[in-house]
Amino acid sequence: MPFDQAFALSSVLLATIAFSGLVLAQSVPLWLALPTAIILIVSLLHAGGVLFVRQALAKVSVSSTLWNFLLIGAFVVFLIDLTVISRDLLPAGIRFLVMLLCIKLLTLQQRRDYRHLYAISLMAILASGALTTDAWYVPIFLLYLLATVWTLLLYHLTQETAETPAVVIPTSKSARHTTFPSRVTHRFLWLTNGTAILTVALTVAIFFLIPRIGAGVLQKTSGEALRTTGFSDRVDLGTIGSVKQDPQIVMRVELPDQPVVEKDRLYLRGLAYDQYNGRSWSHSGTRRRSLSLVAEGTFLARPAGSRPPGSLSMPIRQDILLETLDTSVLFAAPFAELVNGEFLTIQADAMSGLHLPFLPSSRIRYSVTSQIPQLVADERTASVLAYSDSIRSHYLQVPMGSQQVADLAHRVTQQATTPFGQTLAIQQHLLENYRYSLEADTSTLSHPLEEFLFTRKTGYCEHYATAMVVMLRTIGIPARLVTGFLATEWNEYGGYFTVRQRDAHAWVEVYFPRSGWITMDPTPTASAAAATSRWDSLSRLGESFQLQWDRLFVRYSAKDQLAAVHGVREGGDALRERVSRWVSSLSTSISQVLNRLTHMTRAFQPGMLGLITGVVVVGLALLLLNLRDRIGLWATAHLPTSHPQLAIVQLYSRMLHTVEKHGVSKPSAATPNEFARLVEQEWKAAGPMVADVTALYHQGRFSRTPLTSDELSRAAKQVGRLQSLTHKAR
Amino acid sequence: MHPLLNLSASQAFSFVRGMSRRRSIRLTSEGARYLLFTFGIGLAAINTGNNLFYLLLAMMLSLIVISGLLSEHCLRRLEFHRHVPDLIIANEPITLTLSVANRNRHLPSFSLRLLDVVEGQDVDRGLAIHFLPPQSSMLLSYPLLATKRGWIKFEGIRAQTLFPFGLFLKKGLYSTEAHLLVSPPIKPLALRFVDELVSEGQGESLPRRGHGTQLYNLRLYQPGDDSRAIHWMTTARTSQLIVRETEAEDQRRITVVLSIMAPVEREPLFERSVTFVASLLWQLTERAYPVRLIAGTVDSGLGSGPGHLLAMLRLLALCKRQPPETSGVRHQSEPPPLTHVGERGYTVAVIPWSDQAAPTHAVQADRVLHATQLEELTHAF
Repeated sequence: MPFDQAFALSSVLLATIAFSGLVLAQSVPLWLALPTAIILIVSLLHAGGVLFVRQALAKVSVSSTLWNFLLIGAFVVFLIDLTVISRDLLPAGIRFLVMLLCIKLLTLQQRRDYRHLYAISLMAILASGALTTDAWYVPIFLLYLLATVWTLLLYHLTQETAETPAVVIPTSKSARHTTFPSRVTHRFLWLTNGTAILTVALTVAIFFLIPRIGAGVLQKTSGEALRTTGFSDRVDLGTIGSVKQDPQIVMRVELPDQPVVEKDRLYLRGLAYDQYNGRSWSHSGTRRRSLSLVAEGTFLARPAGSRPPGSLSMPIRQDILLETLDTSVLFAAPFAELVNGEFLTIQADAMSGLHLPFLPSSRIRYSVTSQIPQLVADERTASVLAYSDSIRSHYLQVPMGSQQVADLAHRVTQQATTPFGQTLAIQQHLLENYRYSLEADTSTLSHPLEEFLFTRKTGYCEHYATAMVVMLRTIGIPARLVTGFLATEWNEYGGYFTVRQRDAHAWVEVYFPRSGWITMDPTPTASAAAATSRWDSLSRLGESFQLQWDRLFVRYSAKDQLAAVHGVREGGDALRERVSRWVSSLSTSISQVLNRLTHMTRAFQPGMLGLITGVVVVGLALLLLNLRDRIGLWATAHLPTSHPQLAIVQLYSRMLHTVEKHGVSKPSAATPNEFARLVEQEWKAAGPMVADVTALYHQGRFSRTPLTSDELSRAAKQVGRLQSLTHKAR
Repeated sequence: MHPLLNLSASQAFSFVRGMSRRRSIRLTSEGARYLLFTFGIGLAAINTGNNLFYLLLAMMLSLIVISGLLSEHCLRRLEFHRHVPDLIIANEPITLTLSVANRNRHLPSFSLRLLDVVEGQDVDRGLAIHFLPPQSSMLLSYPLLATKRGWIKFEGIRAQTLFPFGLFLKKGLYSTEAHLLVSPPIKPLALRFVDELVSEGQGESLPRRGHGTQLYNLRLYQPGDDSRAIHWMTTARTSQLIVRETEAEDQRRITVVLSIMAPVEREPLFERSVTFVASLLWQLTERAYPVRLIAGTVDSGLGSGPGHLLAMLRLLALCKRQPPETSGVRHQSEPPPLTHVGERGYTVAVIPWSDQAAPTHAVQADRVLHATQLEELTHAF
């Protein structure tokens, strides 16, 4: 492909990539995206040299006045958009940018137009960077970088060829074969793509090294928070069902210290509710306490002065990346012990729910260490459990008119002799006798629980959990409803749980005086098939990539830079220590070997020592003698000489000497060519080598340009072959 | 401080100074726009703290770095050899050649533009190499038209490249020192004037032995003499082998004396006079006259043929005007007294400026060309 064509094509491709960024950021409306895409396709076909497009476009002629009017029109539309329609600079500006892109693509003629196109493209890629943090930006950015390198290089080269026609007479062989490429060749491909790869590497290095400053002048926070349900002060029964089909990602949870943890499910606790009025759940207490700070950025979740969890509880650390949600609740596995993150303060409610003091405006990354309580063995078998009054007053409340439910609870638990047994019986009853279905909308019913238990017998997590809590309470076992997320989607590529809106869940916490609140879940597993297809696997891979992208690039901060510096320093210290240890051990072993040698020397007879030394010296001398020709040839060909002709003259003399050893001497009157012919007659095997060295000798000695190092190496190689031929002949 | 430390510091300083002299970088208009955009994105990144803006900023900065690296690579390990003649004539175009070799083992050089560095000035001769593969060389030739006599000092070659993106113009200086001597231009002279000069010179010829037809002398034959030269009649008469010697025909020796004393306001006429002398010497050499040039204190000696002409042109190329002195003392640059009149032959004195205080008869010449005559003879130059 000629340079001109490649230049036009790469320029339009650059614009296409920048436009794709805007489209993927969902910032271009369809009415604008569609015609722009058509214009881009036509421009690409035109630049690619498709004949019918070129012919068709050649017939269309539009005056420059019309284009100017169009530009003014686009600006007027932008003003109206900014002041009346969107009233926001970013979307209005992006629409204006896309209109400019269209106009510029249709009027690409002069180099100035191309420069304008590049400026518009740069603004477009910048705008898409402002609108997204998703991982799709990576391929778009890389393609943009590749196209930029191509375009800038071709812009320069096409300008260069147009301005300066070179007057060149190639003198060396290699130059003769490679005149200036005015077409895209394999070599040019290598050059350009190699430059692009180098640029990518350097970009990444510079990205991590640029000091991070966020001044925040005239900055506007943007981005909509994800709508969640089930985490407000009052939750109507059946509200979670509305999000159970939503695949949007809410958070990603890593378990860095748990390599052997069961990774099939993880309960991420949000809020707990103790009051049920027959239709909705609520909290009885609204007071929150601030968590105490135990280290920089680390908060203690349990009340100060309270006893630490028993030895039976299982610690679990989670690194959580929480998307921007419309709730201030912090999610964690039950029950949070320590919370670490960039927070000024964290609050906790009476039922161990964690809250931020205000709604977050962006993604949050935090770490939580939780202690999952285990049931004490005694309480499994205890027939009676003594509950405190405060527990009784809060967690045994049932709505009026729950007699039918109480009867059911008694009927289900009549065989069980212990509270734990009764709990298991109710859970088992719900698991076995009810069908999981998201179609059961009970939000408009007056008695949704009774409807679930006795009429429909289908429902989802909220129904099951509510039923279990009410049934437990009717038989005198304290329990509460908990909302949160049940993480089941383990990403094996990234090593984390992906938690989506559809993973919103409600479950039960049952109180045991010594064990504390024990998590129980009466909801049967949804019938959805486990994600095993290749597509799901790819999707998880993409998810993992998104997390890494987010962690390494989107959320890279000055703190990370400092951590990297500390890491490097610590690494350097460790390396230094390791090297010094290695050196000391090496010196010890050397001294041991030396001691042993000294000992052996003392033990040996002086004559023996002399003999060994003599053998070594003679061996070395023989080795040097054997290699002297090769060393000499290498030195002649590679070491710098005072004059460029000297090396080839020395090689030629060496060749003469070698041939003379074989009995063919150069007559003093013979020219080098005559001598080469003589060797051809007298010693046929050496003929080609002598001829080659003679030709190089002529070139190096009598032409104006000195021999290249490759040619000198070739001459040295030929003389070497000649020498080995002489050795064989002997 | 230890003297060695001092030395190394001064060496380092000279190295840095040398490097800065050899390499320079200039922003192009495209580069200025590019930097402006980079600056804008940098501001946006700092303001928002958006890492994707930082990524774009890093991309733009890395393109600048890559641009610097690649352009440096293009200029590294280049070798230049210049081929210049010994002497050229002013106002006559000649072709100079320059061989450029890329001693880089693996990577080619791109978009090279070569400029002559002459007396500290970069002179663009329109030399460009778009692509120079590794381990290869190219021969470039370009016309040169020297307009002034004297030395042209080629200090080196300045190679500049816009590669790879045209954002920066990087220049490198390569020392290829060469000196080229430019003789005064040769202008056509009025034939009548030259003929007249030659015919006047005939009378001044001195007889001497040489090739010709006129009898010069008869002498005894000596071994080695051409037998065809035996004068048989005298031999018969004297009974001894007598040979005949002829008189040389090229007896019209001409000496051109150029007075180099002239005030600064007579500089143009002085230069025209130098051109006139060069043209006259060329004409006389064409006619195979033995010619001698005396310019100021410098004497070319008598000689003929193209080699002698070149030697005289070299003298003229280097002769410098001397400003006259106010004292009446004879100036050093005045022609030396011609002691042996016989060696001088016919003498033409070219005097572009005459001092009123020192009359022109101080110069002994058969024909004196004064300023007025010189103006007339050289007005067409």
